[in-house]
Amino acid sequence: MHLTDNNWLLSAAVFVPLLGALVVMAVPKAYEREIKVVALLTALATAGIGVALLSLFDYGNAQKLQFFTDRSWIPVIHARYIMGLDGLGLPLLILSMVIVVLVIVYSWDHIPEPGNPKAFLALILILEVGMNGTFVAQDLILFFVFFEVVLLPMYFMIGVWGGEQRQYAAIKFFLYTLFGSALMLLGFLALFFKTGAESFSIEYLAAHSSSIVHSTQLWIFGGLFMGFAIKVPMFPFHTWLPDAHTQAPTQGSVILAAILLKLGTFGFVRIAIPVLPGAATTWAPWIALLAVIGIIYGALACLAQTDMKRLIAFSSVAHMGFVMLGISTLTSFGINAAMFGMVAHGLITGMLFFIAGSVKERYHTLEIRRLGGLLKQAPHLGWILGFCAMASLGLPGLAGFWGEFPAILSSYQPAKGLPVETFRTFMVVAAIGTVLAASYLLWLFQRTAFGEPSEEFSHHHISDMHAPEWIAWTPLLAAIVVLGLLPNLLFKVLDPAIVHTTLSAFKG
Amino acid sequence: MFLFAVAGWVRPVVDYHALAPEIVLTAVIVGLLLADLFLPERTKWATSTIAGLGLLGAALPVLTLAVDGTERAMFGGAYVVDDFALVLKALFLIAGYVVVLLSANYVEEGDYYQGEYYFLLLSSVLGMMVMASARDFISMFVALEALSIPAYMLAAWRKRDTRSNEAGMKYFLLGVFASAVMLYGMSLIYGVTGSTLFTAVAASLHKGSLLNGTLHTANPAIVTLGIVFVVVGFAFKVSAVPFHSWAPDTYEGAPTPVTAFLSVASKAAGFVALLTLVFIAFPFSKDVWEPLFWVLAAMTMTLGNVVALRQTNIVRMLAYSSIAQGGFILMPLAVIGHGRTAAGDALTAVVTYLIVYAAMNLGAFAVVLAVTRKTRSGEIASFGGLFAYAPGLTLAMTVFLFSLAGIPPLGGWIAKFTVFRALISAGGGWAAALAVIGGVNSVIALYYYANVARAMWMDPVADDDTTPIRVPASLGLALVLTGGATVLIGVLPGLVLRFGNLTTSTFTAAFGS
Amino acid sequence: MWFLENAWLIPVIPSVGFAVILLFGRRLPLKGSEVGLASMLASLVLSVGAAAQWIHRVPSGEAYVGPVIRQWTWWQIGGEKFTIGTHIDGLAVTLLFVVALISTLVQLYSIEYLRGDRRYTHFFAALTLFSAGMLCMVAAESTIEFILGWEIMGLCSFMLIGHWWEDGANSRAALKAFLTVRCGDVGLLVGISMMFWGAHSFSIQKINEWAMSGTGSKTLLLWGAVALFIACIGKSGQFPLHTWLPDAMAGPTPVSSLLHSSTMVVAGVYLVARFYPVFYQGFHIADGGINLVCLIGGITVVIAAAVAFVQNDIKKVLAYSTVSQLGYMVMGLGVGAWTPAVFHIFTHAFFKACLFLGAGSVSHSGSHHSFDMKKDMGGLARKMPVTAATFIVSTLALAGIFPLAGFWSKDAILAAAGDHGYRLFMVVGLVGAFLTAAYMARCVYLTFFGQARGAAAGLHAHDQAEVGAGGSEHEEEPVVVHVGAGSHAVADAHDAQAGHDDHGAAGPHESNWLLTLPLVVLSFGAAFAGLLNAEGFHIDNFTRWVQPRIAEGVAAFPKIEPTTFKWGDAMLSVAIAAVGLVVGFLVCRAVYERDLAKDLTKRNRLAGIGYGFLWNKYYLDVLYEKVVVAAVSGPISNAAYWVNQHVIDGFVNAVGVGGREAGDWVYRNVDQRAIDGTVSGVALGVEGSGSLLRRLQTGKVQQYGALLFAAAAIGALVLVIVV
Repeated sequence: MHLTDNNWLLSAAVFVPLLGALVVMAVPKAYEREIKVVALLTALATAGIGVALLSLFDYGNAQKLQFFTDRSWIPVIHARYIMGLDGLGLPLLILSMVIVVLVIVYSWDHIPEPGNPKAFLALILILEVGMNGTFVAQDLILFFVFFEVVLLPMYFMIGVWGGEQRQYAAIKFFLYTLFGSALMLLGFLALFFKTGAESFSIEYLAAHSSSIVHSTQLWIFGGLFMGFAIKVPMFPFHTWLPDAHTQAPTQGSVILAAILLKLGTFGFVRIAIPVLPGAATTWAPWIALLAVIGIIYGALACLAQTDMKRLIAFSSVAHMGFVMLGISTLTSFGINAAMFGMVAHGLITGMLFFIAGSVKERYHTLEIRRLGGLLKQAPHLGWILGFCAMASLGLPGLAGFWGEFPAILSSYQPAKGLPVETFRTFMVVAAIGTVLAASYLLWLFQRTAFGEPSEEFSHHHISDMHAPEWIAWTPLLAAIVVLGLLPNLLFKVLDPAIVHTTLSAFKG
Repeated sequence: MFLFAVAGWVRPVVDYHALAPEIVLTAVIVGLLLADLFLPERTKWATSTIAGLGLLGAALPVLTLAVDGTERAMFGGAYVVDDFALVLKALFLIAGYVVVLLSANYVEEGDYYQGEYYFLLLSSVLGMMVMASARDFISMFVALEALSIPAYMLAAWRKRDTRSNEAGMKYFLLGVFASAVMLYGMSLIYGVTGSTLFTAVAASLHKGSLLNGTLHTANPAIVTLGIVFVVVGFAFKVSAVPFHSWAPDTYEGAPTPVTAFLSVASKAAGFVALLTLVFIAFPFSKDVWEPLFWVLAAMTMTLGNVVALRQTNIVRMLAYSSIAQGGFILMPLAVIGHGRTAAGDALTAVVTYLIVYAAMNLGAFAVVLAVTRKTRSGEIASFGGLFAYAPGLTLAMTVFLFSLAGIPPLGGWIAKFTVFRALISAGGGWAAALAVIGGVNSVIALYYYANVARAMWMDPVADDDTTPIRVPASLGLALVLTGGATVLIGVLPGLVLRFGNLTTSTFTAAFGS
Repeated sequence: MWFLENAWLIPVIPSVGFAVILLFGRRLPLKGSEVGLASMLASLVLSVGAAAQWIHRVPSGEAYVGPVIRQWTWWQIGGEKFTIGTHIDGLAVTLLFVVALISTLVQLYSIEYLRGDRRYTHFFAALTLFSAGMLCMVAAESTIEFILGWEIMGLCSFMLIGHWWEDGANSRAALKAFLTVRCGDVGLLVGISMMFWGAHSFSIQKINEWAMSGTGSKTLLLWGAVALFIACIGKSGQFPLHTWLPDAMAGPTPVSSLLHSSTMVVAGVYLVARFYPVFYQGFHIADGGINLVCLIGGITVVIAAAVAFVQNDIKKVLAYSTVSQLGYMVMGLGVGAWTPAVFHIFTHAFFKACLFLGAGSVSHSGSHHSFDMKKDMGGLARKMPVTAATFIVSTLALAGIFPLAGFWSKDAILAAAGDHGYRLFMVVGLVGAFLTAAYMARCVYLTFFGQARGAAAGLHAHDQAEVGAGGSEHEEEPVVVHVGAGSHAVADAHDAQAGHDDHGAAGPHESNWLLTLPLVVLSFGAAFAGLLNAEGFHIDNFTRWVQPRIAEGVAAFPKIEPTTFKWGDAMLSVAIAAVGLVVGFLVCRAVYERDLAKDLTKRNRLAGIGYGFLWNKYYLDVLYEKVVVAAVSGPISNAAYWVNQHVIDGFVNAVGVGGREAGDWVYRNVDQRAIDGTVSGVALGVEGSGSLLRRLQTGKVQQYGALLFAAAAIGALVLVIVV
């Protein structure tokens, strides 16, 4: 029951950026302008495909895999080229397309040191290949390949264009993630053989995994968990994130926050839970525990930060904690909240990193105590920071709220078989987390935007936002408001997919 | 069965089609010698061309045989030409060809004796081809020596350089020593089974052998001893820990193209021998070699990787990396005994890995050659800032390195994947444990590969000399071939897996169904 | 029915207005203020229409009248529909009217008051959104919508209190207000989640029906009520979370007026009134037993009133009086006096708004932007007759003097407390009434009577501002947070300076009509609003209009016992209030004119302690800021970060470094040592081939061989043994 018309679209969505990257590489280094144009056009073309997908998507059947294509790829190991798009993948796919466009627009006059837009933009486009691919792959091996494809470009992006300790951060990110995905791959293989070595197709595995003994399921889930949890990142495995975020160039941080982190959570929703429901139920309380620890702990770490960008980085840990809490309830409420939270976090934290980048560019520092009076020197920038802070702390009417409140709500009544009291305790803790979130975000805002500019900068001329910034940011800001006011835009798409795909095993 | 016991000498039938590749190669070798004699000094470069074309020419009959597809056995089954043999012969020939490409400028500019160089190189390749078909202790030993002895000389080729001499000397002495150990093992096996023919050995180790009308069941202790010694001999060839000690020094000392050759072709030959032995000769003694391979694999991977972490010389780093890669290739051997499917998967894994490994490792050496031609230094630091003035080479090297690390979508991932697949499909705690060790090792490995990439992309130019690097045509061709193969395999692994998938061959028959 | 059906317009119009002001405000002739005023007027008209239709809808008698509910599906997941809409009944109508009216007046007032402010447009945008938030919350049909309005108000309070954010004190006050309220919001989120799982709906109506149905689990109801009440404590500045309210005075006066009379702080009380069935069942209200609600309310009444005595900033006096009045409302709800409590919300809105605006008028035209009663006021009655008159009327109303508004509502609460067996809280209420009268007398005296001081005496503005600043700095020594009259006054002064220096030297004078008109209107309300429910005269319109009727079938509301009005008790409370007024007035004259109590606090230790205790708001701020906040934002978070860097990340790095070190070690000691002592034989190679042979004889390669063979042999032996 797949809708296979226009099935070439997904392949196009994934590989057009690759073509663009190749073209960019072909253009001689000297022609910077042309390079930027090519990159932008590629991104726009991809986004155009995104628009086509949006218009052709059958919203009535959001639970079905649409634009479905299933071709032979590696017959010997039963890996097939299966791509399909349902309500789970659609929002994130579109998000990644949009983000890439905006990042390239932003890059127009923000190519970080040491320059070389050619390589920089090529890497961004290759990144997009991996990201888009991960969201549409329906075969574990294909998923794995795309999941890994993002590593190299991000490694170089951090390592070449990053801050002072870029090399450390880059290799840390790379090794940490690879460690996770190695175990994840073993998990995939185990799944494959335990279900009769027939197919790596997610659907097939979900249908046949019930034959696996529970203990084995637990182990396999453990493998997947390591892979995804490190990517998310969840509490004890998060330490690569602050370094990567802090050291990465603005564009890198934005992509990292907006898309790459979602690969992990998406993996849980798309693979781990539907394929191993039994194990998921056993693991859920522990995942939830780590999630709430992450919420509180990330918030506390934020309060201790003196660097704006690092603070935002830690806030990701806290926010992804809410997402994981929602997922761990294994209810449609929770997972809807989680998916919404992913998109919202992508938009909001992406914006925050953009802002941090622009502040850094103007003040050449992100030391909070040296900043101040941003509203006086660059009012628009300042107010946008305030807006994003409000959105990020989950103000109703803005996107952030719909990731946060339903997650809390759902953890009062988790799925059958989960310890209710435990989850209710988690609910309260998470709710307290929202206070901490408010405090670190508004404290940041109060210290950087309010007050008079500090001595050292009071005489500098700080320019307000430029055209590229406006163009790159307006869509995100608009999306934050629109999704905040009309959450159904997303829920309408997500819910059927979550109910019929992710939680199909939990029916009744 | 008792071919040599009965009657006098019967003239064996010779299937010339089956031998065609070896014959062609032999002819080319002779031709090389003659050409070297008569060519004037300034046209000596022609020898490299002859060698290259000769190798390709020898590949043609391999193709025809593959197309023909029938399995051919000669000399009472001592020499077999089947898919397995053909695939590997093709691999050896192509690898040899790439090595020739690598050597061309190196040998020419270093004004060494070119003719002899290629003569020896091709002789070694010939030995490998025989190895691929050998199904009998004697032919296997002959093949081994045929591929080793020229290699010893090649290692010492830069005769004005004492390091090179030492490399050759060390390699030679230890190689001989290893051969001795192996011969000892073979003789023990022969002693208890009364045969050198693998199939016969297998049969008698399984049911016992009928000598003078009485059934002798082999003394397990002696069998074990024999098997271990034979395996150890080849463990030396594939430089498995703890028999690797020669490798780093030799690799570093030998001329870089030779190093490439040793680390790819002759290592592959060693694995070919191990596979044939395990599958044809000792299928029923898995209790002996499974644990042995398990330990060897674990030790080789781990030590190779851990030590590679701290290398500052690129060649030495690649030496240890190739040791570690050998460990990865050894992993499937540890689970061959787990039934037919496992055996099949393991076979696929090893062959696939050998092919991919050849492509990416040769490529890496090609880049090293190209860069050291300019920087005249083997230090990793001398790669600093390469991206600034040689983006092409940097990109190629990045591809090869991360392919070696097994990052999709570069060829290496499918090799590693098949290995893990074989282990998991075998199932069981030991296999899983080995798989996890392998997983951790692949992370460690990434560190030193990425370290080189870091130097190239992120470090400042070592010496401020940023004149672009001129890559000679032959080297360029080698880079294109290997690079193309690496990426292509990564994206469409089906290509290589078709060759690696030999489960249909008679190999796995012994492991039941 | 049209107005009731389309009540959704009431909050929507101002929110649109907000957007318009934000986008185009600067380009408009009046800088956006006209848009704000217009939108508020529109809402006012609509609410009046709604009120009229509602009144028309409820017949006299007991017949059931259900609320008018419109709902649309907002979003849906997991089969659950989430609705948005309007839930209009007497309570909603009352609040809609009050909020719209007062917002309109405040906007009118602000046009003059804020003239020349550097963020004039921002101010009106925020003010409009603020009212929109309150209206949205009041009309909310679903709990989510309720949260929406609730949080929007939080946001706007943050922006308005921090309106003059150049001054660190103001922005700190804004932060404090937002975070304190946010603490309460934890309760709101949790409570509403619990309500949802109890009633399986977000519809307020459904939740109330479920609560009354008695089918819900008692513990769920109890804890849900507790959680929601925590939200109320945070928002309505009840003890112990009341400390943010006085600091909120850092905002411009119109904001304080709006925030303290009808919006923001009332939201908490409204929450309790709205979900009354939940509290009623959860806390077993009105059974004569003490419960959390009335307890907190009672405590708040007294402690807030007491603190009001030691304030010198007129706005802070009023702020504490607000807290104490909110205490009355909460207490009323706690003792089962629902209607009186709501009625008190209604009346309180008028006189409190009037008082704040009056204070603003004084500072605007009388004391030159200072709010310090001791330094810059006094004797203004003659110079600002209108302001003074309205201020005094409202004061009397607040004190509960017959027959003004405050009397009827407050007295009804006390009476109900008595009826339902809460004698104790009746007494508390009377004590509160006395204190209220007294501190208001002090306030009025210091402002309008006695001799003019400081700016009121016409001293020049600037040095005056300095004095005010310096002086209050020194005075506020014991205060923990420096959000004082002084600093605030300075900011206020400098802002307004730009606008009208014209009267800078003119000295105190009456404000112009834009300021006084709202005062007059409100003072009328303060005077006569009470007559809507003058039970003494057997008028109970308000009760009839507002108090929900009980349905035959499903009850969505508890039965509210009508309170019996006793002239005796009423007169007693009036007497107490009157005494309070007189005593307060006389004492003030004595103290401030003849300086009887000259440094009493220094002479008398007990008085000193008491003064300090009150001055520091019972040291609660010390607890919060110096202990809780300081700990979390200091040691605790640093500890967490330390753990992150040194334990968790430390482990990761240790693995990395360990790996490299291990590599080093293995390489040197295992891989190479086994071969020969030197790191690598290669290094020696350079000595030439001669030495090469020598080294071979020294057994280098023999060692290789030995190693090789040994390994083989060992391996073999092991296997021989094992196999």
